[in-house]
Amino acid sequence: MAQNKKIMELNEVEVWDGNYANASALRQAGVDVISAYPITPSTGTVEGYASFHANGYIDGEVVIVESEHAAMSGCVGAAAAGARVATATASQGLALMIEVLYQASGMRMPIVLCLVNRALAAPLNVNGDHSDLYLTSQSGWISLDACNPQEAYDLTLCAFKIAEHKDVRLPVISNQDGFMTSHTAQNVRPLSDEVAGKFVGDYLEVNSLLNFDHPVTHGVQTESDWHMEHKAKQNDAMMKSASVIEEVFAEFEQISGRKYNMIETYKTQDADVIIVALGTTYESAHIAADNMREQGIKAGVMMPRVFRPTQIEKIANALKDAKAVVCMDRSAPGGQLGQLFQDISSALINTPARPIMSNVIYGLGGRDMTVIELEDIYKKAAKDVENGKLSGSIQEWVGVRGPELKYYNVEGN
Amino acid sequence: MAQHNDVVNNLYKSKEQFENSIWDQGWDEVIPGAAVYSFDGEIQAPVVTTLPEDRNVAETNSMNKYVGDWRVVKPVWNVDLCIDCQNCWVYCPDSSIISRDKEMVGIDYNHCKGCGICSDVCPTNPKSLVMFNEQITNEDALNQWPEKKKKGEK
Amino acid sequence: MSCSLLGGCGPQGNREIKNLKTYSTAAERFEGAHVLCPGCAHSIIVREILNATNDNLVVGASTGCLEVCTAIYPHTSWDCSWIHIGFENGSTAIAGAEAANKALRRKGRISADTPEPKFVAFGGDGSTYDIGFQWISGCCDRGHNMMYVCLDNEVYANTGGQASGSTPIGASATTAPAGSDSYGMKQNKKDMLSIMASNGASYVAQVAPNKWKDMVKKIQKGFNTDGFVYINAMSACTTEWKFPMHQTIEVSDLATDSLVFPLYEIINGRELNITYRPKNIVPVRDYLGAQPRFKHLFKPEYEYLLEEWQKRVDAQWVYLQKREEARV
Repeated sequence: MAQNKKIMELNEVEVWDGNYANASALRQAGVDVISAYPITPSTGTVEGYASFHANGYIDGEVVIVESEHAAMSGCVGAAAAGARVATATASQGLALMIEVLYQASGMRMPIVLCLVNRALAAPLNVNGDHSDLYLTSQSGWISLDACNPQEAYDLTLCAFKIAEHKDVRLPVISNQDGFMTSHTAQNVRPLSDEVAGKFVGDYLEVNSLLNFDHPVTHGVQTESDWHMEHKAKQNDAMMKSASVIEEVFAEFEQISGRKYNMIETYKTQDADVIIVALGTTYESAHIAADNMREQGIKAGVMMPRVFRPTQIEKIANALKDAKAVVCMDRSAPGGQLGQLFQDISSALINTPARPIMSNVIYGLGGRDMTVIELEDIYKKAAKDVENGKLSGSIQEWVGVRGPELKYYNVEGN
Repeated sequence: MAQHNDVVNNLYKSKEQFENSIWDQGWDEVIPGAAVYSFDGEIQAPVVTTLPEDRNVAETNSMNKYVGDWRVVKPVWNVDLCIDCQNCWVYCPDSSIISRDKEMVGIDYNHCKGCGICSDVCPTNPKSLVMFNEQITNEDALNQWPEKKKKGEK
Repeated sequence: MSCSLLGGCGPQGNREIKNLKTYSTAAERFEGAHVLCPGCAHSIIVREILNATNDNLVVGASTGCLEVCTAIYPHTSWDCSWIHIGFENGSTAIAGAEAANKALRRKGRISADTPEPKFVAFGGDGSTYDIGFQWISGCCDRGHNMMYVCLDNEVYANTGGQASGSTPIGASATTAPAGSDSYGMKQNKKDMLSIMASNGASYVAQVAPNKWKDMVKKIQKGFNTDGFVYINAMSACTTEWKFPMHQTIEVSDLATDSLVFPLYEIINGRELNITYRPKNIVPVRDYLGAQPRFKHLFKPEYEYLLEEWQKRVDAQWVYLQKREEARV
């Protein structure tokens, strides 16, 4: 039972922003140690939690440290000592703690990170985009994405259950859009303290530093004769975690009525043109897709709910009949095609499916992506389907003032 | 006095003495996180009340590592001259001076790297620990023991 | 979590160490056949510290000689709980474990019968003075109940002897080498003990492996002190200071007897006690002369540096005595 001693009575419907939703989930999960540092726009999560603590709702420790690197380091130390741990950060903080992310996953510590997605400097920008999310792509963390405060709350709770599972023992990131989700209050239907506590359950202790019956050495050095075996073991656990994630989602549906899938789809079954996007854009695209359908264009939307481990089969299955797929990336690509574009095209390359694939760079530094712009993207993709080929370049930057920005031409176009 | 061989022989176990040696393990068998265990299963009694030779050490305990081949010179111990002051015990970097019940038992040659600190800090005259060439037998070394140094002699 | 299935928790607390003979009855928790250099002072210091207590230990280390040489897969030299994460965060790793211990006890997941363990983090001078400085300061600010021991060999020894914030003036380090145009390190050594005392550490002390009795007293005092304890352990490095490997204790004697490494403690940032007063104070140049890393300073053109060295050490000794007297 994860519960703290002092229960908080919640309404059936609360009005919470994404940060408060995170904080509430952390409270209900009965986290033992929060080791955290404030950074916009994730600060609200830590402040919400600190406020709970100051009012007696938290039995665990709250350690406000002197940097994000120290925050994650404290989490690893506490996790190694058999505690349930979590922290929250964004952008620059995530970048500062990035080496510890790799250390945490390599050491197989089940930590939950509430990552409130924000642009990476320079220039300095506090608003929402996915550059920090993408920075974690190869860190060995399981990564889940939420579109709204309800999902942020739900996924943060699920994250503990996934991370601590005996067959997983990997850290998990619970992502949400900075400001657009974290600072936007919406309806949230929370679970009661009792139900949430029961769902997350007791912490499963493995190789704890505080188990003096069985001393363990954590964080060894490996030479070239052993390193690959350990990384293979770690990666294998990551790949196999997919089945545990599905189990946890199924169990969560039982208690909440809300079903999460490895990838989320909206009207993709008969869709000719499909947009793939993370975060709040996924929801906005629902409206655009419905508008398109009224105009006779069969539009659909897809989102990797589980960003890592990449669900190649499920992605390929969802997109196999699409005629055009537009992968929208909310991160400055740094001289390449966007991350989602790479994930999706790699999922399709070994299948017969050959939709017209394009990449849109959008929304950097919190720039809005409106329904009208999404409709234009659908329309352009539909035009390509009509012509039977991609017109223009593979990658286009949308919503930026100045001359058109297009990269990577397709031969013959 | 504890017998030298009883103590030292139990301070080093070779690969063959362990079932499912780690050296044979593939990626699927290694412990997650590359965690390394000091002991084989749960300890039977508190570590601080169990002498190292009586502990159920795991194969991965460095006690089972052999570094004797690092030596070029080795310390030889002359029990007749030794006054059990324990200087050598406290200053050995390699836990290779074995002392039991406040008395010197001997040297753990599996773990001794031949640094010579023990001989340096030995207060007797002549010293009870002298560094000899690795090739010489301890018996021959004892028969070639240096003379007592006169005052002022280095 | 119990202490042990069959044997209960065993004796706890500091060991009663009347003399070297009683000290030697310790059941070692630091095993041999690690791969530290022959003659390394790090392992002497670690042995002295671990053998001073019967308490359950949670030990941490930052990346460096100690960590690399004692925990290289598949071997561990630690017969106790041990964690390494990275270079900067050895202190914070232990602080996290200490916070976990508090939380788990409060929640009843660790029974109140289980004796409190001791939390000890080791780091080299590179980690302590430079790259991990912020982390240590943070742990100290927060007052975690832990001991931090800096194994101070005045260079980044593990990677070949690069200069660190602890490298003293005139030492030749690979990134501040002596040459025709240079006498080596130009900056003075940072005074970590003053800094940690001002940072709010409950207890700070300088120790040296050759003075085992002084070490044991201070370590045991540190273990009995609540809050953050900082220990600076002088660690003579045969490989990087370049003296013959059997002279480690000799060189340490020169260090403490020349007062280059004065042995003292500061309690609660205000009460300074000098804990070792050499019968015969050795000239600084004898200490420097024993280590080839300083040999270029004996060229005639650098005589002034040797004189400055002596002046500096003398001034520090005067300062320590004055502060001890004034009780500030």
